[in-house]
Amino acid sequence: MALITRRATLALGTMALAAPRIGRAQAPVSITVHYAQPFIYKESYDAIAAAFAKREPNIQVEFVTTPNYEEGMQLILRQQAAGRMPDLTYQGFNRLRLFAERGIAQDLMPMLTAEGDPAALGYAPNLLALSHFGGFQAGLAFAASNPVCFYNADLVRRAGGDPDRMPTDWDGHIALSRRIEALGDGTEGMFYRWMGDDWMFSALLFGHGGRMLTEDERDIGFAGREGLESLRLIDRMVKEGGMPNLTTDAAQQAFAAGKLGMMYWTTAVLRGAIQQVGRNFELRTGPMPIIDAEKGRLPTGGAAGMLTAKDPAKREAAWRFLRFSTSPEGTALMARNTGYIPMNQIAIDDPRWLGEFYRDNPLYTTAVKQVPISIPWYAFPGANSVRVTQVIVDNTARIVEQRATPEQVLPEMAAEVRRLLPRRGT
Amino acid sequence: MRRLAGEAVAGALMTLPAGIAYLLLLLLPTLATVLLAFTDYELGAPALGWIGLDNFREMLADRGFGVSVRNTVVYVGLVTPVSILGGLGLALLVEAGVKGRAFFRAVFFLPVVSLTVAMAAAWQYLLHPTIGPVNAALRAMGVGTPFWLSSSDTVLLSLAAIGVWESIGFNMVLFMAGLTAIPRELYAAAEVDGARGGFDRFRLVTWPLLGPTTLFVLTISMIRSLRVFDTVAVLTQGGPNKASEVLLFTMYQQGFTYLRLGYSAAITLVFLAVVLALMWVQTRVLDKRVHYA
Repeated sequence: MALITRRATLALGTMALAAPRIGRAQAPVSITVHYAQPFIYKESYDAIAAAFAKREPNIQVEFVTTPNYEEGMQLILRQQAAGRMPDLTYQGFNRLRLFAERGIAQDLMPMLTAEGDPAALGYAPNLLALSHFGGFQAGLAFAASNPVCFYNADLVRRAGGDPDRMPTDWDGHIALSRRIEALGDGTEGMFYRWMGDDWMFSALLFGHGGRMLTEDERDIGFAGREGLESLRLIDRMVKEGGMPNLTTDAAQQAFAAGKLGMMYWTTAVLRGAIQQVGRNFELRTGPMPIIDAEKGRLPTGGAAGMLTAKDPAKREAAWRFLRFSTSPEGTALMARNTGYIPMNQIAIDDPRWLGEFYRDNPLYTTAVKQVPISIPWYAFPGANSVRVTQVIVDNTARIVEQRATPEQVLPEMAAEVRRLLPRRGT
Repeated sequence: MRRLAGEAVAGALMTLPAGIAYLLLLLLPTLATVLLAFTDYELGAPALGWIGLDNFREMLADRGFGVSVRNTVVYVGLVTPVSILGGLGLALLVEAGVKGRAFFRAVFFLPVVSLTVAMAAAWQYLLHPTIGPVNAALRAMGVGTPFWLSSSDTVLLSLAAIGVWESIGFNMVLFMAGLTAIPRELYAAAEVDGARGGFDRFRLVTWPLLGPTTLFVLTISMIRSLRVFDTVAVLTQGGPNKASEVLLFTMYQQGFTYLRLGYSAAITLVFLAVVLALMWVQTRVLDKRVHYA
C-alpha cells in the first residue's frame, strides 16, 4: 500500500517537473552556479547539468567552484559587497545560518509550496530542517553525510574480532582498538577525527542526547553531564584505546596503508577512502557506536543550495536548477557520483532510483541507515560562530594530548564559548 | 630650456604607468589596510564602525595572539641562526671542495626553487608517525617515535626544521657570492703575517670580510622566517591547540575564516611594523658597525 502511495507521489512530482511551463517567458537565460569541493562534487554536478540541459534547453548553466566551503562562503560575502553574486550557491549546512542572519539567503518556501505539497515532492520535514535557519527556509538540502566507522576488516580479524559482528558500543570499540594496537609493528587501533571543526564533538554530544546551546540559545547546553561524558569518551579513547595523536592527513594515510584499525569520520570521504585503499585490505563501513539508544542522535554534514539571484528571470532559472538538483533524479545522480546521502525522500524510499546502486555498493548504505537518527549540524548564532568551533577543537586537543582532564577542560571551554555568544536583551 | 622641460615631461610620462601601478597595487591597498585596522569591519557586514585602537587593545588581551607572537619568535629564533650558520658552513665546504661544486650548489639550492606546498607533502610523508621513514628508522634503533607534526612538543621544531631546509640553500648561495668577493691577496698577506691554520684565516680574513653579506643574510633570513605561512597552513593549521599558530596564520584565520577583516588588518599592521623595524635596524644601526673592505 505504502509503495503505491509513493509511486503516486513520485508520478506527481515527475509530472510537475516535466509539465510545460505555459505562459512563462522562454527567452534564453544564463545563470551562474557556485559549489565547493569540486574534487568531491564535480562529476555529480556535471551529470546533473547534462540532464538539466535536456529538460531546460533555454537555461545556460555556468559553474564557479571554490576548493572548500570556507572559501565558498568568502566568495559570496565578497561578491555581495561587489554586487556580482552567483545566482545560486551550494553552501555547507553550518554556514547557512550566517547567510540567513545577514539577509543574504532568501526564503524558498513560497516557491516550493507554489509547486505543491513539499512532502509530496520528496522534501520531507527532516530534510527541510537541515537548511532552516533564521526562521525561514534558507536553502534546500542537496547532499548530506553523517559520521560512520571505517574499519580494516583484516586487522579486526587478526585482532580476534569479527568484522561481520562489530561491537555496537564504545566499550567494545575501545577494547577492540587496544587489541589491534597490540598487534605491534606500528599498528594503531582507532582514530576519532576530532579536529577541523566541532562536527565530531557534536556527534558524541548528540549521541548522549545533549545539545550545544540551551533551547532558547541564551546559554551553553554542553556544560552538563552529556558534555562531560563526551570529553571523557575522548579521554578513554586515548588512555584505554591508545588513540594516537595524528593529524587528519596522517590518519587517512595510515588507514590507507593498513596501519590503522578503525577511523570515525564522515561518510563523505568514503569514495576517496575506497580509491586510496584499493586492494590493500578489505575496507568496511559500520554505524557509529551507540551511546544512548533512546536519545542518541548524529549530526548531519553536507551542503544545501541557496538562492541569491535578484533578477526575476535569473531567479526563476536558478530555482529550476535547484529544484532539479534536489529532485529524485538529481539527487540520485548526486548520490551515485559522490557517497553522500540523497536528499529527496522519494529517491531514498523508491528502489528504482538507487536500489541497484546500493545493492552493488553496500559500503554506501551505512550512512543511509543512520538517517533516521540524524539531526541538523548545529550552527552557533552570531558573528563568532566559526570561532566557537575552533574553541571546541582547541580544547579537545588538550585532552587528546593529555594536558588536562575532562573535568578541567569542560568549564573552561564553556566559559570561552560563552564569551563568544551574542549578548542579548540588556 | 624648452628642450629640458620637454624631456622632463617625457620622463614623467614614461614613469606614469609604473607610478599608477605602484599607486593602485601597493600604496592604496596599504592605506586601505591601515584604515581598516581601526574599524570593526567584517566581511559581508553591511556597515563598519570606527573603533579607534580597540583592535590593538584586543590584541594585547587575546591569548591566541599572544601564543601566535611567541610561536613566531621561537620559530624565527630557531630558523634564523641555524640557517645562517648552516648556510655559511655549506658555503665554506662547497667552496673548499675541488670536485662537484656545481652539483652541490644545485642540490642545496633546490629547496629554494621548489614549491613549498608540494614539498610540504613530501615532509608530511617523511615525518609521518606510523608509516614515515624517520620514525621507521627511530623505531629500528629502539628510540621513541614522536608525533612530529601533531604533538605540541615537537610541532614547532618540525616546522622549523622544514624552514631551515628551505632557506639554508639560499643563504649558502649568498655566502658563496660573498666569499668570491674576498680578494685572494688578503689570505696570502695573512699567511705571511703568521696565520697558518684554516681557523685563523677564517677568523682574521673571511669572517670580518663577510660582514656585509652576513648582515644582509641575517635580515633576509629573519624576514623570510617571519613570513612562514605555507607549511603551517598545509601541515598543521595552527594546531594542536594553537601550538603552531604563527603571526601570518593568525592574520589569515581572523580575516578569512572568522571574517574579521578589521582585526586582521590590525595584525597585518603589526607585522608590517616589525618588518620595517628590521629593515631600519639593518640600514641604520648595524650598517655602521659592519666592516666594509
